[in-house]
Amino acid sequence: MRHLVFLLPALLLLLALPDTRGRYNDDFDDGEDIAEFDDNDFAEFEDVGEDPAVDVEKEPPPRAAPSSTPIEDDEDEATVENEDGQDEFEDGDAQEQDMYSKYDNEEFEGYEKSNPSFKDTLIYREVPAHLQNSWESYYMEILMVTGLLAYIMNYIIGKNKNSRLAQAWFNSHRELLESNFALVGDDGTSKEATSTGKLNQENEHIYNLWCSGRVCCEGMLIQLKFLKRQDLLNVLARMMRPVCDQVQVKVTLNDDDMDTFVFAVGSRKAMARLQKEMQDLSEFCGDKPKSGAKYGLPESLSILSEMGEVTDGVMDSKMVHYLTGHADKIESIHFSDQFSGPKVMQEEGQPLKLPETKKTLLFTFNVPGMGNTSPKDMDSLLPLMNLVIYSIDKVKKLRLNREGKQKADRNRARVEENFLKQTHNQRQEAAQTRREEKKRAEKERIMNEEDPERQRRLEEAAQRRDQKKLEKKQMKMKQIKVKAM
Amino acid sequence: MTLNNMADPRRPNKIFRYKPPNTETNPTLEDPTPDYMNLLGMIFSMCGLMLKLKWCAWIAVYCSFISFANSRSSEDTKQMMSSFMLSISAVVMSYLQNPQPMSPPW
Repeated sequence: MRHLVFLLPALLLLLALPDTRGRYNDDFDDGEDIAEFDDNDFAEFEDVGEDPAVDVEKEPPPRAAPSSTPIEDDEDEATVENEDGQDEFEDGDAQEQDMYSKYDNEEFEGYEKSNPSFKDTLIYREVPAHLQNSWESYYMEILMVTGLLAYIMNYIIGKNKNSRLAQAWFNSHRELLESNFALVGDDGTSKEATSTGKLNQENEHIYNLWCSGRVCCEGMLIQLKFLKRQDLLNVLARMMRPVCDQVQVKVTLNDDDMDTFVFAVGSRKAMARLQKEMQDLSEFCGDKPKSGAKYGLPESLSILSEMGEVTDGVMDSKMVHYLTGHADKIESIHFSDQFSGPKVMQEEGQPLKLPETKKTLLFTFNVPGMGNTSPKDMDSLLPLMNLVIYSIDKVKKLRLNREGKQKADRNRARVEENFLKQTHNQRQEAAQTRREEKKRAEKERIMNEEDPERQRRLEEAAQRRDQKKLEKKQMKMKQIKVKAM
Repeated sequence: MTLNNMADPRRPNKIFRYKPPNTETNPTLEDPTPDYMNLLGMIFSMCGLMLKLKWCAWIAVYCSFISFANSRSSEDTKQMMSSFMLSISAVVMSYLQNPQPMSPPW
């Protein structure tokens, strides 16, 4: 009897197993034939009891789990460990996925739909650039650093070039300067006036040289105004608009070294510009720049002069020879006894004073080469320095005749009068305010006095002063009336 | 003697010392570039630091370089160095806060 009891479950099991295996076999055999299941989804389950339903319920989850792993494998480099037991299901699972997804969702209530990603489009997330191990993503930074390095390179090259040009200029001019001036090179800081014998570097592109100790002049300041070769922005700007290096010479004279006149000669553009900019040229040389052809100069040069006599006096044969020979290098030559620099924009309400003037000769020369200068070009400027020295001596000798002198004096008086007229109102206002200030101060003093006696006395004194002033004014008015009559 | 004097124009007794031109009375003579660039550099580096903009910081570096190139020799090196340091610190801070590379505006 007991044997029978054991045998029964075994028999039952034996009966059930072939069915399950058979089902699997059915699935494997009919896996390709999905159409069969479309028509009658539950065909296979019709004759089977609840057990297959339970089994079916149990199957999707384990089959869903392995189905998701192959997808994960495809997605990332990250490896996903598969459970050993599920490997055998992989081949069949892919085929069975479609079958199960078409089944009623209600069957799988309570289970998470773990295979929807297979249906949705794959979204590839980008790895943030700074986590990638490549320098390529930093190309903007590399560009910036390259730009900076280029700027530094240009700075060094430009600085050296300017320095070489300055030194070349000084070497070619040193002899001439040392034979003409007792002091060549001074920066103003040393206690004793000894020649430093070298240029002052103000900037990477401006060099100064001060020479002094000569007849006919106080001193001479030479400024080598080179292009800003050390600044890359400037270099690029110059590619659009070429500019020259310039040498500017400013000779300051003593009062007896020069007669009273204002004169300028130079390129037409420069003359037009200077006439507008310079205080003395705009006041004394009112006429438009005249062509230099009358005096034998090339057409490119024009003249601004206070009077014809001055031009005749300055333009002697040697000067004409110099100017004609080096017309391309001459930007402007300006002789003036009323030199005060460019026009200064005056602020409103400021009491104006006549600007201080100094007898000056101002020379501006262009270095040949239009920016592409080499140290050798500096030698070609030597004749121009000779011109400067010649001019200094000439100006000392140049004297106007009586007529010229009178004309010049009249001109200067006229300019001063105009100036005073313009500023008359302003000066009056200034005087008025000053008077009011004084009165106010006095009144305050009287008020602040504690002693009443003193107060009374001060008040009386102020009253007496005011009365006197009134009387004086009345007298003046009477006098004017009498004179008018 | 007179011939000698005529030939040699030098007069050691007539020496005047060099006086640097007073730029206060004539501001047009001065080149304003280094001052403007210094100011711009400071503004850009503050912008770069506060607003965490990388390109501001890089422009600040460029501005301080340009200001240095155009500066006068009489100018304070401390000013130059401080603007340099400020702009470099702006760049470094921008990258520490946000290591992502700069994206071009296009």
